[in-house]
Amino acid sequence: MDDLLLPSVATILDQRDETPDTRTLQLRFRDGERQDRFAFRPGQFLELSVFGLGEAPFCLASSPTRRESLEVTVRRTGRVTDGLHALGPGNEIGLRGPCGNGFDLDAAAGHDLLFVAGGIGLPPLRGLIWNVLDDRDRFGRVTILYGARTPTDLVYKDELKIWAARDDVEFRVTVDRGEPGWTGTVGLVPVLFETVELRPARTLAYVCGPPIMIKFVIQDLLARGFAEERVISTLERTMQCGVGKCNHCCIGHLFVCRDGPVFTYRQIREMVE
Amino acid sequence: MPPQDAVIIARADVPRWVAALCARAVVIAPTAGPLGDTVFSAIGSPGEILWDFENPLQPPKQFLLPQADPFVRIRRNNGHVTLEPVRDDGRRILFNVRNCDVSGFRYLQGVYARDLPDAAYARRADATALVSLACTRPCPLGFCVCCDAGPFLRAGFDLQLVPLRDDRLLVEIGSEKGRALLEGAGALFRAATPEDVAARETLEAAARRDFGTETCHFGSAMRRLSTRRVPQALWDAMGDWCLECGGCTHACPTCYCFSVSDRPCDGGWTRNRTWDSCQYEAFTLEASGHNPRQPKRSRMWRRFYHKASAQYYQRDGGVGCVGCGRCIKVCMGTTDMPAVVGAIRKGVWHG
Repeated sequence: MDDLLLPSVATILDQRDETPDTRTLQLRFRDGERQDRFAFRPGQFLELSVFGLGEAPFCLASSPTRRESLEVTVRRTGRVTDGLHALGPGNEIGLRGPCGNGFDLDAAAGHDLLFVAGGIGLPPLRGLIWNVLDDRDRFGRVTILYGARTPTDLVYKDELKIWAARDDVEFRVTVDRGEPGWTGTVGLVPVLFETVELRPARTLAYVCGPPIMIKFVIQDLLARGFAEERVISTLERTMQCGVGKCNHCCIGHLFVCRDGPVFTYRQIREMVE
Repeated sequence: MPPQDAVIIARADVPRWVAALCARAVVIAPTAGPLGDTVFSAIGSPGEILWDFENPLQPPKQFLLPQADPFVRIRRNNGHVTLEPVRDDGRRILFNVRNCDVSGFRYLQGVYARDLPDAAYARRADATALVSLACTRPCPLGFCVCCDAGPFLRAGFDLQLVPLRDDRLLVEIGSEKGRALLEGAGALFRAATPEDVAARETLEAAARRDFGTETCHFGSAMRRLSTRRVPQALWDAMGDWCLECGGCTHACPTCYCFSVSDRPCDGGWTRNRTWDSCQYEAFTLEASGHNPRQPKRSRMWRRFYHKASAQYYQRDGGVGCVGCGRCIKVCMGTTDMPAVVGAIRKGVWHG
């Protein structure tokens, strides 16, 4: 039986600034054997800690098909994220996980997949997207719709170009507000629905982003004929333990950390609070 | 109801037995506190144990779930971190614990063993023996009969002591761990007779009768809570009375919400579990400033949904209440378990 709350030590290998307040960290367990044994599903999350400051949950933003390191994308919002931004390559942090249920890739096999992300909502989907693209033959059409407030706020800018260039992916991007040099679409994410052809009956839609964006995107998807159980999202709550014991993240009798964070819209609609 | 093994010990011989227990483990029992109250504490001699006492306001859960519980020591040397787990498997005997508290431990055991088992809790629980003292008369605020949590139990204890009327104790053996507590003092015990067991049944029936009928009716409150038929206005009214002190949760034998935090220690840190309360505003506060359960009414809903909804009854195997009555004593806003359950049943809050 494991000590549920005991972290392991991980080393920051590299870091990449995505936006002025958002950074992707590349991590590896200090114990190489632990790194090799580490298995996870996209959509699961890690509990990362800056020693002395505390611990917080972060979704795994990398794909399990790329095992050499783990990636998380961190926006500065509080004590622990400030602490993570203050560290750099070579520094050691605490790592626990993987936590949560993650996306069910086996159930997605054979389906068309639609990814709709807003702003910092792309990281939880990025691991899933690369997992799908690394195993491309198992899935039908792949469509990625991404929106952010401004071009500066787009994360993974290099990878967006790769997705845009692939002919087995439909990729569209929009921003709420353009900037000099931006020649792409301007508008909220739902405007992108008009630019792609969707087959709701055979598509699973993965939606992730700020609450207001999720709300409108899901309304739109339902209006376009998506069944509630074909719309999948991830929820966030304040968490402490990440393993279904401390009760901080409960919605009704469900633990976001344990029963989720991935839920279908049908499950979300039935939640009580 | 399986027949229990039971033995008898004379009251006069109990100190010798307890002395033998003290040689094997830390014995924790209700004792007289410095201000005239009753507190659970480690005893130095058998005479410190109270036999006629009001149940301490702080339940004995603190010995399995300490309020601040360091679980790893973090040190930094030359830029590298070392993590040194702190593990507690010290042997403890919780002696003269009331059955409501034994039931509290049974609930916590379920919570921590379910799904991902928590080794830290299991380690302490495995090393701890529960010796309960059955209640032969109701305590002033208790309603354990409504929660199947007392005054006598059939299971859950390692030993259950029943004071018989003739200065003897019936000792019921609930587990092998309990049986082991009798070893080494075997000469002090003799087998219980059918008459002794019959006397125990009579005492239990009398104790149950003395609780009367006006207690805490979870059934109908559970139906309303589980089907969302408690009016919002009622939660608003009750929320107004809550002072957000968290006392109800800290004094509750079944509450176990916690937080995790690092504290400076010897140039490094310890990482600790600390008690937290779903009644505090910051319990669900997110780094962004968003708080999904900011209003007091929604926090109060949360507490009683967890305690008494069918959803949680299924998940945790019972109501999250053992009828000890501590929340009645501790709550300055009168939003204790029987009061809120009564208000949910009747649809009115009188404050």
